[in-house]
Parts: sequence; C-alpha cells; structure tokens
Amino acid sequence: MNDVILSTLPFLLDGLWMTFKISLITIFFGSLIGAVVGMLRTLDYAVITYPLGAYIHALRGTPFLIHLYVIYFMLPATGISWLQFDAFPAAVIALSLYTSTYVAEIVRGAIQAVPRGQGEAARSTGMTALQSMWYVVLPQALKLMIPPMGGVYVIIIKGTSIVSVVGIAELVRAGEHATQRHPRDLMLIYGMTALLYFAYCYPVLRLARWAETKFGSVRLPS
Amino acid sequence: MDWILDFYNYRVVAQYLPEFARGLGSTAWISLLALGISLSVGTITAIMRMSANPAVWRFAAGYVQVIRSTPLLIQLYLIYFALPALPLLGRRLDEIEGGIIALGLNAGAYMSEIIRAGIESISRGQTEAAMSVGMTYPQRMRYVILPQAFARVAPPLLGQTAVLIKDSSLVSFIGVFELFGAGLVVLNERLMPNEAFLTVAICYLMIYTVMLSVTGYAKRRLGGAAG
Repeated sequence: MNDVILSTLPFLLDGLWMTFKISLITIFFGSLIGAVVGMLRTLDYAVITYPLGAYIHALRGTPFLIHLYVIYFMLPATGISWLQFDAFPAAVIALSLYTSTYVAEIVRGAIQAVPRGQGEAARSTGMTALQSMWYVVLPQALKLMIPPMGGVYVIIIKGTSIVSVVGIAELVRAGEHATQRHPRDLMLIYGMTALLYFAYCYPVLRLARWAETKFGSVRLPS
Repeated sequence: MDWILDFYNYRVVAQYLPEFARGLGSTAWISLLALGISLSVGTITAIMRMSANPAVWRFAAGYVQVIRSTPLLIQLYLIYFALPALPLLGRRLDEIEGGIIALGLNAGAYMSEIIRAGIESISRGQTEAAMSVGMTYPQRMRYVILPQAFARVAPPLLGQTAVLIKDSSLVSFIGVFELFGAGLVVLNERLMPNEAFLTVAICYLMIYTVMLSVTGYAKRRLGGAAG
C-alpha cells in the first residue's frame, strides 16, 4: 500500500498543479467577465439588462458539462478559424463563462446592497455616474464581494474536475491513469485524489468564512 | 433553408426524439430519488449539527465540509467504482444506485446548510411555547419547528434542487443513461454535436424554466425567504 502511495503521489501532484493552474486562470477571466456583466446589470437600460439576464439564465439553466461540450465540439465544427482551439483553451473558456454568471450575481448583489443614498450623495457633489461608481459605490461593495468569492473559487476548483472529459491531465485524470496502473487500489487512489481536493478547497472555504465574519456578505444566489 | 439543416438538422433530432424523451424521463426520476435522499439526509444532519453532543455535531459538520470540499465526480467514482460489496446487499451497487446515492449524499450536504439556516431562523418563542404545552423534542421538531423552517427556506431548497438536476448529468460518466447520455448517443452514432448538445441544452432549459416558475410561486405563496 505504501509503495502505491509513493508511486502515484507524483502523478497526482502533477494533476493538482494543472488543477491549480486552470483554477487560477479561470478565476481571473471569470471575475473579469462577471464584474463587467454584473455592473452592466445594475444599470436601468432594458436593452442591456435583458440580454445579460438571458445570458445568465442560459448558463445557469444548463449543466457545465453541456457548456464544455458545446465549446469543445460545436465551435470548432463551425469552421471559423479563430474558433479552432484545443482542449485547454476550451476548458478555460467554458469554465470562465460558467464562473462569470456567479460573479455577475455577486457583483450586482453587492452594488445593490450599498445604500442608494451613497451614490446619490456622490452625484450631488458633482461626480459623474462613473466617478460615483468608482470612488464611492465600488469600494464599499468590494468588501461585500470578498466572502462569496471564496465560495465561487471552490466551485471553480470542483468544476475543473469535469474538464477531465476533454482530456486535460488534471487531478481526476491523473487519478484515472493511476487506477489503470494499480486497478486493485482504486479506493486508495480515488481517496487520495479526494484528499488533495479537500486540501485545496477546505482552506479556501475557511478563509471565506473568516472573511464573512470580518466584512459581512451578500448571499450567493443558488 | 439548407443552412438550417446544416447547422441543426431537426430531422435527425426528430428521429432520435424517443431517445431524448427516454433520457429526460431518466433524468427526472434519478433527480427525484436523489432529491428524496438529499432532503432526508439534509434534515437529519441539520438537526445533528445543532446537537449539544460534540461527537454528533462534529460528525455532521465534517460530512458537510468533506462533501463541499470535494468534486461530485470524485464522490461518484468513490461510491461506484471503489465501494466494495455491501454486506446488506450482498453485491456491489449498480451504476444507477451508485449514481443516485452519490447525488443524494452530495446535495444532502448543501440542503443541510439551507435547512439549518431555516431552523435557526425560527424564533425561540416557538420552541418555548411548544415546550410549555408539554411537547417532547421530536414532537416540537415534527409539528412546530420543521414545518415553519421548510416553508421559510422552500425557495433556496428549490434552487438547490435545480443544481441537483443539472449535476445529475455527471452520472453519465459512470454509465447511466440519462438526458446527457442521449446527447452522447447522437454524437457517437451520427457525429453531430450541434444536434446532440443543443437539443440536450434545450431540454435542460425547459426543466430550468419549470423550476424557476415553481420557485417564483413558492416565494409568492410563502412570503419572503429567509435562507
């Protein structure tokens, strides 16, 4: 049992490294898209808010697995040259879009949780709408966004497990390979994989909990 | 009209309609059974979480944290591939049983957090009033606290149910035929990703729309949600 652990651990750690990379890239792009979508959704223009609402509902209403397959199989089949990508960009794009829906709801919730009077006071001192957003509303909203973002990061980490189906050598994939080498130690190997995920996610969840007691929070829409 | 057939050949979809319908039905009853498990597990662990006995609440808290910190896919693999023969059953779980149990245990952890929030939101006076008429602890829970708690957190519970339905697509990885599996059949037999996955996406969106309107109804009917 010991030598199975010793011989598979390096593979699993390689997989964990890949999981780590994908989750970091995804939280960056997902937050970027989500922040823009979320801020635009707080505006009062139906032309903007309806399509963005449809975007969020379409992604929320379908499993992530579907997004991944649509982006990985359907887009390259269109024949458009810049849509021809490998598994890795497909996985990152799909995960980022999926993440952006969560981030957008958090950003919108946090902005709307800042009392209206704050923005109005800023406008009354002569600030433009952008200035009041940037200097007055956002700094206050940012604190409320921190705790639920921890939850989103954990959702991303767990989401990376699914991209193993398009052939990305992340943690689950590494575990699958290891079980082919040691088929009798399935339980042990998947147990180790679970433990590595736990070691990555649990501190993030604890940190989010700590941030929540410190900064307060907006509720994550389920 | 050729470009439509090029992009989305509805004739092929029509030909596979029975397959998609079978998948939709399979997704529905897998989700329903998993929902039953998750609500029972969620209620029990929520009550355990609030126990005064540290061994009991630590166990419940540990369960919730372990589930929340590991991906559903690994939980599915552990329960289906790695679980040895069960002594009571005399055999290993088959893929449908394994999938339903894994889904139920996974969702149960999230449900438990919601239900606990619901129970904690019921004012202390309710418990005191129930005690003053001589109700025992199980009676108080059964007749006073839980009905109010469930009414209050019905909308988030329904939201979590929508997540559960989407997550059920992952059981196709352990070889269960459901909605997503129907898409895979079309992909493998006809090599038509658009027809396969757009159709599946539409089916999931239909389920989601139904869930949204049920949630909206529950919100209106039961007043503001606390969870």
